[in-house]
Amino acid sequence: MTDRYDVLVVGGGPAGLSAALTAAEAGLRVAIVDEHEQLGGQYFKRRHPALVARHGDYRAEGTRLIAAAHQAGTVCLTGHLVWGVDDDGTTLLVTGADGVPRRLSASYIVLATGAYERVLPFPGWHLPGVTTAGFALHLATMDRVPIGQRVLLAGSGPFLLPVACALVEVGAQVVAVVEANRPYLPRPGVAARAARHPARLRELAGYLLTLARHRVPVWQGTYVQAADGVDRVQRVTLAGRHSRTLEVDALAVGFGFRPSSELAGLLGCAVQPDPATGDIRPVVDEWGRSSRPDVYVVGEAAGVAGVHMARTRGEAAALDIAQRAGRPVSAARRRRVTARLRRLAAFAALTEVLYPLPLHLVAGVPDGTEVCRCEQVTAGEIRAAASFAGNGLNATKGLSRAGMGLCQGRECGTAVSCLVRTVNPHAPVETFSPRIPVRPVPATTVSALWGQPPVPEVLDVSVQAQVLNLFQDLRERLGLTILFIAHDLAVVRHLCDRVAVMRSGEIVEIADSDRLYEHPTHEYTRSLLAAVPIPDPTRGRAASRNHHTLQAGDG
Amino acid sequence: MTVTIQIDGRPVQVPEGITVAAALVSTGQWAFRRHAVSNQPRGPFCGMGVCFECELTVDGRPEVRACLTVVREGIQIQTTPRASATGPDTPGGGHD
Repeated sequence: MTDRYDVLVVGGGPAGLSAALTAAEAGLRVAIVDEHEQLGGQYFKRRHPALVARHGDYRAEGTRLIAAAHQAGTVCLTGHLVWGVDDDGTTLLVTGADGVPRRLSASYIVLATGAYERVLPFPGWHLPGVTTAGFALHLATMDRVPIGQRVLLAGSGPFLLPVACALVEVGAQVVAVVEANRPYLPRPGVAARAARHPARLRELAGYLLTLARHRVPVWQGTYVQAADGVDRVQRVTLAGRHSRTLEVDALAVGFGFRPSSELAGLLGCAVQPDPATGDIRPVVDEWGRSSRPDVYVVGEAAGVAGVHMARTRGEAAALDIAQRAGRPVSAARRRRVTARLRRLAAFAALTEVLYPLPLHLVAGVPDGTEVCRCEQVTAGEIRAAASFAGNGLNATKGLSRAGMGLCQGRECGTAVSCLVRTVNPHAPVETFSPRIPVRPVPATTVSALWGQPPVPEVLDVSVQAQVLNLFQDLRERLGLTILFIAHDLAVVRHLCDRVAVMRSGEIVEIADSDRLYEHPTHEYTRSLLAAVPIPDPTRGRAASRNHHTLQAGDG
Repeated sequence: MTVTIQIDGRPVQVPEGITVAAALVSTGQWAFRRHAVSNQPRGPFCGMGVCFECELTVDGRPEVRACLTVVREGIQIQTTPRASATGPDTPGGGHD
């Protein structure tokens, strides 16, 4: 079953809410779909009512925006995960809050999928107690729990400052804010550009004053070289202008954010690489229109530029859609939005100048550093795979398994891409290819949607052989135990140490492979073995017929 | 208002409405799970449902992301990984 709307907004953060509100106010039938149980996204994340009662609302502007979107008649599909695109290239595959898969389509799709926080790897970043700056902020603001008693904040970007202030507010001691760049130094050209954004400057000055009042030093030109500890981070070694070793019980790291562009990629929207960061961002015009006339990309997904830009981009896209759908949009409103977009773009460009992504830190990590946390692939293994794989990021992934884990390369993607380009300086700037599902979903979800088994049963024989070799390789390298379910008894013997024979859902015989194949004891096992096709052209026909009979009778 | 939850069988009082991740962190419990291959301890990392590092077992349901789950009175949180290959099997899975 497919639900159809005029406008389908994916992502319920500031950009998606603004787009949905504006489109719904123009009289269009709008649905907003978001993975989380509450609208708001990361920026307007909602406190639980019990915590609102105790501590008051958090970012009340978000509460008002969500209420307005509801009131305007937006259909809110919260708890709905968009994980793929159907074969028609436009219908979105979604799993509902009840776990039931469904299809959604619309005349216009607005992608407001937000951004991921970026962390550049260093030895020890997998230790418990090392987190993103965003997690430290969410704990402090949503849950009112300090992430630690002695916390170090590190990375680069203006985001570290409000996080440090929030930690101070919940009673944590912030040992220092460690900034890899040196943005807080008076520089004539930059100061003149910054002076054009007085509201943003006041905000920044407010954070710096709060930190100064609490005697939190801001160490610029400094970065984390390594973290260590037993079962939890206990020490952090800093390098650069303020090199030293500190005792901490939490380390929160952030190097800004990068667009979540997988759905745009799956929908076939043109994307462009950013060589300075290794990010991919969708190509959009001022109104958020992508290379596909029915798909818009707004907010951080279209390029990271902050909450004000996100909201304005959402509004701009909805106005453009409303006009194309024949709804009245005043020229004055379009002009106001355009002017705001240009001012905010100038501020975003200034931020990029002040906080360039220090990819040289990735280029320099020791070979033993675990870069892919999920699959535990080290920098050295990635470098070796990259030099073997030539220019390809995805070939490097295939060879090294970096980026193949549950997070699907979202945490290590920037670093792996950087390492590949360090080894192969002429490699193109690219990200891991988006694949369906873009988030892990149970195989039963996929199978229910198409009414067929989750794995195609008919694979080319050479592909089958490659898959089997991969299984064996993984088993040896990772010490895995694999449960292999198959009809092909020759393959089963090749791959398995121990075999259980099932008939109508019951195990009739179980034994080590050699014993089972040489001395089958159950009648059904014997009949299966007798039916194995033998690659002999003179006997082939009879064996094949026999095999089919068995499948029909006992499958 | 507080709720009482069980962390590895130990009753703990935590504020109503906080996440399971916050509940564990506030009691000083940082290792949520062990890496399936290396047995390395792992704790919450991204806090927004992306990294899957904070997965644990809640009321017997495995692979629950602690950062996206809010505590409820009486829930049982298990940080140790499921024992491998000894879980309850479902007979008659339907495959021949």
